[in-house]
Amino acid sequence: MECGRPPRGKSAVIRNRWLLLFLRIIVGGVFIWAGALKIADPLAFAQSIKNYQVFPNALAFLIAVFLPWVEVLSGAFLMIGFYRRSSALLISLLLIGFIGLVALALARGVDTSCGCFGSFSRRADLSLILTDAVLLVFALVVFFARPSGQSD
Amino acid sequence: MRRLIRGVLVILVLSVVLGTIVNFPLIRRFAAGEFKQGFVDLREYEGIRFITLAETEDLFARRMQGAEGLLFVDSRSLEDFAAGHIPGALSIPLEEVQHSGKPEAGQDWGRMIDFPGAQVLVIYCEGGDCQTSISLAKLIHDRGYQDIRIFSGGWAEWSAAGLPEEKAQ
Repeated sequence: MECGRPPRGKSAVIRNRWLLLFLRIIVGGVFIWAGALKIADPLAFAQSIKNYQVFPNALAFLIAVFLPWVEVLSGAFLMIGFYRRSSALLISLLLIGFIGLVALALARGVDTSCGCFGSFSRRADLSLILTDAVLLVFALVVFFARPSGQSD
Repeated sequence: MRRLIRGVLVILVLSVVLGTIVNFPLIRRFAAGEFKQGFVDLREYEGIRFITLAETEDLFARRMQGAEGLLFVDSRSLEDFAAGHIPGALSIPLEEVQHSGKPEAGQDWGRMIDFPGAQVLVIYCEGGDCQTSISLAKLIHDRGYQDIRIFSGGWAEWSAAGLPEEKAQ
């Protein structure tokens, strides 16, 4: 069941359509960019996944083949506002997964490149978790927002 | 709620379809047994191949007998290298190569992975799922070296076999 409109006063900010559009462009753009770089070189991405030393070979391969498309499509849908909440939900779930994976790598002392942006990737560290957390907040705002005059 | 779930399914199904279509040749190669040792396209990196413990031992014996142009490279961290490595191996920690200096310090990378006189390079890392040997092999291959052998069993397999070890240089 759909939630009702948020209580008055609670979300003047998240009902601001321009702010939401801005957040959608930022998060969508990052995901389109990240996904496209991985689509360009799935084997390198598979190797990045293996670097985390969590997934077996076959799973790493399947993730490398399909996940970048989920990123690009979610990002694109979020940007254009097509299945906005579904894309925001998927992106949020992905970000939670990424944060968990990087945190696990840090906890286990696995030194690895994050693999997030193909050859532009940086080290999987605390600042990466913070970046992902900010994107997660943006995505969740878009997910829970009810822009004025818009049903979905 | 239904629209939410429908949207998620649309994205997932489209991703599977597009991923399959675009990567079909790669999926076939994977199904045929390629990429089991590492995600390196050996058609692209023609100078790289994976070797077993027996082959590594053989190359090590040749090196010990004074074979020229044969070099062992350890891509693990400096600490791991100091704790024990294949005798005579050169320490080139991938993390140092990748993270040394500023992003634009391409020249530094070049200096660290230049091996005058080396024709055959045997690269290893920890073993198991470690990938640094593969990443380093690719970098070295891009520098023009044409005979790079990755010992995928790595240090774990070497030391478990009770083969010669050397500690910090």
